[in-house]
Formats: sequence, structure tokens, C-alpha cells
Amino acid sequence: MPEPKVLYLPLRSERFTFTDIRVKNGQKVTGGDVLASDPDNYAVPLLAPRTGTVHLKAVEGHIVLQDIAQLEERAHIAEKEMSHVKRKMGAAGIKRYKLLSLGAWQFFYDAFTGALPDPLGTPQAVIVSTLSLEPFLARGDVQLHKRLLNLTRGLEHLQSLLEYQPIYLVMPNISSEFANLIRNQIRGYASVKMLEIPMKYPYDHFEILARRLNLKRGGGPVWGVRTEGVLAVDRALTLTKPCTVRIVSIGGMGVNMPTHMKVMPGYPIQKIKDKYVFEPAARVINGGILTGKILPVETLGVDTECRGITILREQEDREFLGFIRPGWGRHCYADCYLSSLRKKFSEQLNTGIRGELRPCISCNYCEEVCPAGIMPYLIHKYLYADLIEEAEQARVDLCIECGLCSYVCPSKIDLRKQLIDAKDLIAKEKEEIRQEQLRQEEARKQQEEARKQSEEKTE
Amino acid sequence: MKWLLKIIDAVRPTFEEGGKLRLLNPVFGALEHFFFAPSARTIGAPHVRDPLDLKRVMSMVIISVVPCVLAAFYFFGLRFLAMIIVSYAAGLTVEAIFAMIRKEGINEGFFVTGILFPLIVPPNLPLWMLALGVAFGVFIGKELFGGTGRNIFNPALVGRCFLSLAYPKTMAASWVEPSHELIGGLLTWVTPSLDAVSGATPLALAKQGEMGSIAHMLLGSVSGSAGETSAILIILGGVFLLFTRVASWRTVVSMLGSFVILTGALIAGGAVVYPIPGLFGPVMWHLFAGGLLFGAFYMATDPVTGPTTNAGKWFYGIIIGSTTVLIRNFTGYVEGVTFAILLGNIVAPILDEIVIGIRLRRLKNEG
Repeated sequence: MPEPKVLYLPLRSERFTFTDIRVKNGQKVTGGDVLASDPDNYAVPLLAPRTGTVHLKAVEGHIVLQDIAQLEERAHIAEKEMSHVKRKMGAAGIKRYKLLSLGAWQFFYDAFTGALPDPLGTPQAVIVSTLSLEPFLARGDVQLHKRLLNLTRGLEHLQSLLEYQPIYLVMPNISSEFANLIRNQIRGYASVKMLEIPMKYPYDHFEILARRLNLKRGGGPVWGVRTEGVLAVDRALTLTKPCTVRIVSIGGMGVNMPTHMKVMPGYPIQKIKDKYVFEPAARVINGGILTGKILPVETLGVDTECRGITILREQEDREFLGFIRPGWGRHCYADCYLSSLRKKFSEQLNTGIRGELRPCISCNYCEEVCPAGIMPYLIHKYLYADLIEEAEQARVDLCIECGLCSYVCPSKIDLRKQLIDAKDLIAKEKEEIRQEQLRQEEARKQQEEARKQSEEKTE
Repeated sequence: MKWLLKIIDAVRPTFEEGGKLRLLNPVFGALEHFFFAPSARTIGAPHVRDPLDLKRVMSMVIISVVPCVLAAFYFFGLRFLAMIIVSYAAGLTVEAIFAMIRKEGINEGFFVTGILFPLIVPPNLPLWMLALGVAFGVFIGKELFGGTGRNIFNPALVGRCFLSLAYPKTMAASWVEPSHELIGGLLTWVTPSLDAVSGATPLALAKQGEMGSIAHMLLGSVSGSAGETSAILIILGGVFLLFTRVASWRTVVSMLGSFVILTGALIAGGAVVYPIPGLFGPVMWHLFAGGLLFGAFYMATDPVTGPTTNAGKWFYGIIIGSTTVLIRNFTGYVEGVTFAILLGNIVAPILDEIVIGIRLRRLKNEG
């Protein structure tokens, strides 16, 4: 991709909201400088990918970098800072500090909550996934073959953060030649266990992997990290260089030439559109087609957590007598179209709902596809009857929001949204209860203190 | 087909809120969406959807009964066409009235009930009774419970059950002997019934000790409900349904399996120990007789009235299969499938409750 002249760094991404701005308008920054940080997420930084001049108010919700030049990046963290960190956190803390401040930490996920894990915490296990199975997203193993050395070195670095906790490396085929190559490379330096999973969405989801490995929520956090994260760890700890470049997939049905490309956060989306998108009326999605969010027009640049941009045609025509067509070119979960007689093919997908909203007919498809092993239709029925407590007992919290239930539902019920709403509602209620308990505790303590004081007075 | 879409777009305001015919909006919507798929788009993740919708599911069922419908024409004459028309007209009226009251769209579910109902009643049934049965089934069996997706009983079977309880004599007199000519009944309005005895169904005859041949029952040249006589065609359509996964194979396998095993066990037990009174006919003969196959493939597999869970489906099939054996062999009724499936419908929610309870207990310690 050609170097852009201007970068538009969005202050929001999937998990982060960078509210703490660290630079002034008109200030010159070099690549690797902290532009802003997110105070709610362990002050995870928004790094300047290139040298340039900051414009804060130019575009709403963005930091704009102008006069971009690819000069030498900030190669190391200043001595003074280092000694300060060393005094505060000890030698072990330095590595974690580097990961956080050099932008490698944002590649880490808590397997159960999906949030950013505590950089100073110790996990019960680390899951390294080499796969990314959602349709149209960058596949991790593409990067893997080229940079095997970096991967194994990154794994060793990861191991040095842990005490005895295992690292699980998730691969599609653990007896392949390539897997053996990795095994030979890391022998002795890191205790890596390999885990084989099918190449089927969403088996690469960290929560599904953690549950497969029998890791329990109560046993502490589980870190999940993909290939690019391990490579970032290697870069941050071996070279002490900022990790700002991401590999992003450009895919989908509205793209003339699907590709993977290296971009930095803030890369103008218009440029990507000009080069790859040939349909003006297409929908631009940040992420894959099953879990991604629609990229609003106001967002001008690629955000710091973007893993792929998917272009999808909007539904326009109304099909005549669609329900009795043979359907030679349609993918269907049930074999209700002639296409089930065909071998593998790719369908021209669009954003149509492809049917009318109907009541649930209990076809059980959603349960069959659910990778979390819950019963979406049951929770849907509970929610329909306002039975939140029952929905909680049906373990709506295990939902990983993969979107498969919404996809297969022949009644076109948006189960994914309903489950997410229910999860949010339950979490909110729990938080309220917790707050209430805290308040009561506080009040009790105050009462007790007042009582003691009055007792002392009487004495 | 642009012109049709233009007409639809042009007349739409008349049916919308504030238009003259707004009461008929559900009817208009049903017609519109029959011809043209809706233009709605997804608003969030997942951005793409499976092409399958309820219209497709229901049209799959209708396609799968086409062989039976053709057989009904062949064996029992063109009067069957009138039966289909009356069934749809009566049922759709009830359905449309309720859609207007509820201000919801007309559900596709009825199109299946409307075609299945004439297939499970005697071919010479008076048309007014057919209309009454279908209206009763849709009204009591479905609409009172809240419409498609919320009904407990299979509407077609409720209608049939009502007719056989309310008008047993007329029902029994409506059986006719199928046409035995090469061209079948295709040139006649209705194949003439010579006398009451010749129209009796194989099961009724067997209770009197007169066993029909299995070959005739396979082909369908026996007396019986309009669409239930030909075992081969039912199996053909049924396998198609299983293949498309619209019908659950678990229900079918467990129902037919338990039926065969229980009948076989009773016969074997009777042969070894002492003869069981009332028991008649070999296993294979029973399998092809009456409405068993049709009930297994088209009635018991209705996803709404059956259990949702896969484990529940196994027990559901077993309950229906064994109840059928008991009713057929040990009661005054010659045919038990209708009652057995309705009984299964009652039990289905309980089975689901049990299975879901067990699953939830297992889920409790997950994650």
C-alpha cells in the first residue's frame, strides 16, 4: 500500500476509548509516541505510527496526523523511565511495562470476557491461536509460515512472563510437518502444549478454547492472543520497538481483489475504498460478516484493533417467487436448495434478511449450531416472557456472540442481539446489586463507628 | 415481473394505516410477499443470513406431498381437487380473520395444514364436513393458542379427530374403494362406492379377520384416507423431507422403530407363551397399513407441536409408536395414529422440560 500523507486515528475501537489525550495541537511527534491513552483499560496507549504533526480538532473523534514521514521510530524507552519502572515494579515488571507502552498488550484478550487483561496479573494459562476462522478475516497461519522464528521467540518471551502456567498453541493440524518444525524450534525454551481444533468457525474463539481446555472462570484469568500478538511481543521485547502495523484483511463480496495488507492505525479508509471497493452502495464492515460492526461514514481511518474490513453488497432487488426457486447458488444450513447436491462453491452474499420475521417454530437449528452449547431458542422464549432470571439460569452468559444462531434462524429472529441484550441487562443488574451491597456495608460500618464513638463518650 | 411490482407498489397505500382497506393489510402483505421476497436488510451482525425462511420450509413440505396428492387423484378421482380448494378456502378464511384481528401477517404454516388435511380424511367426505373440520382444526388447534409457533396440537389432526368423534357414521361411510382401472380415477369425478363393505379400510377388514395383501398397500390400491394409501409414495416424499432436514429423522426413526419392535415383540410373545387376544397381522403389514407412515413423516415431525430437543424427539417418537400399537390392537378403534400423535403433542412439552432441566443442570458448572 502506498504511504498516506494524512493519518486519521479514531479515538474509539472495539474495546478502547482513548479519552486521555497526551499531545497538544500542532505538536510534532515521532513514530511510537503516545498520542492518547485509555484510562479505563490500564492506560493502554494510542501510539503515533509515523512521524507527523498533530491536529486535535480537525475531525470529530479522531486525532489527525499530518505531514507524515517514515523516519526512525522511537527505538527504545528512555533510561530515566526505565529506572523509574524498575524501582516501582522490579525487573519482571519491565517486560510488562514494555508490552503495554509499546502497543503489544492490546493484542491480548481475556478469554472469558474478551476484555483487555490486567498487564500485571498472572493468568492460569495462555492460549495462542494461530487461526482466525471468521469468514473474510485475516488468517493467522498466513503470517505464521513467513515468520516462524519471530513466533517462537515471542513464545519464549511469553513464557518468561509466566511462572509455571502452560501456554497452549492452537493449530489446525498438530501432526503436520509445520507443527513439528515449531516443536523443534521451541524445544526447551518454552513449555508449549499444542491443541488441535477443526478449521470451522468459531472454534478459534478464546472462550470456546478455554472451555475445551477445561479452564474455569474461577481459576483466574486466561489470556488469549493470536499470531500477530505473539509477533508483537517479539518485536516489543526483542527490538524494543513500537508495534503499530497490523495485518488487515480486505475481503467480502464487494471487493474486486481480496487481499491481506499491512496497514497502520489511522490509514484512510477512503484510500482503501478507492483501491478495492468497486461497488459504491456496498456496506463497509469493520470485522467479519458474522460479528463485525458497520463502519460509520464518520470514521475516516482504520482503528487500532481492526482485524479486517469486509465489503458486502446491500440487498436491492426483490426476488420474484424466491421461495420456490431451485437455489443452485445458495448456501443453506438445511439442505433445502438444490445447491446441497453441489460440491464447494462460493455464494454471492448480500445483506438481505431473506425472509419475513416469524414466531419461533422450534426447529432446533440454533441449538445445533451453537458452539457454546446453550439453547438460544429457549433463552429467546424466556426473554419473550420477560423471565430474566430463567435466562440467566439457562447460562446466557456463556454466549460468545458468534452470530451463528441469527444466521441459521428460518424465522429470521435476531437471536444474537437478544442474547447480547440479555447479557448486558444481567450484568447491569448484578452490578447494581453489588453497588447496593457496598452501600449497605458502608452504612453498617458508619453506624458501628458512630456507636463506638458514642460508647467512648459515655465512658 | 417489474409490472407486477409496480402494481403492488401502487396499491399499497390503500392497505396501509389510513387507507380504505387497511383491515385487509395482512391479506395484502401475504400476497405481496408471496410474489416478491421482502427487501429488508440486516441492521447489524451477523450481516448475512441463511437463505432459508419459513416460506421455503413450508414449500418443501408441500413439494414432498405432491406424490401423495397425485396418487389421490389417480385412485379416488378428480373430486379431490375440490377437497383441496375447499380446505384452503375454509382454513385461509379463519387464518385471515385472525391475522386481521391480531394485525400480524398471515403465516405460511397454514399452507401445509391446508394440503395435509384433505389427505388424511376419507376421499368421499362431504365437502361441508371437510370445511368444518379444517376450520375447527385451525381455530381450536392453532389460533386459540396464539397462531403458528405457539400451538400445542397439530391443527390438521385436531380437525380430523373432531370429525371422527362428531360424525363417526358419515366418516365410516365415506371410504371408497380406489379405482382399479389403468387410467385410474383421472377421468371420473369420484370412484363409485359399490357398497359399504367394499370401501372398508384394510385395518377395518383385518379386525374382521380379512387380511389385505401387502403389495396392494405398498402401491396404494386399497381403501383409506385420500393420501395415505400408497406406502411407497409416502416413503418417497418422507425421505425427501428427511433429506432436506425439514423433518427430524429422530422422530421418524424412533416412532417407526418402536412401532415395529413393540408389534414384533407382542407377536413373538403371543406365539411363544399364549396367544394375546386382539392382536392381528404381521409386523410389515402393520407398518404399511393405515396412517402410520403418513403420520410418522408428516404429522409427528411438525416442529412446533413436537419437542424441540433432540433427546426429547427420541422419546416422543417412542411414545407415539407404542401408543399406536396399543390403540390398534387392544381397543375398539381400528386406527390409532391420530390419537397417538395428539397424545404425543400433549407429552412433548413435558419431555422438553425434562431434557432441558437435565441440560441446564449440566450447564450449571460450565465455564
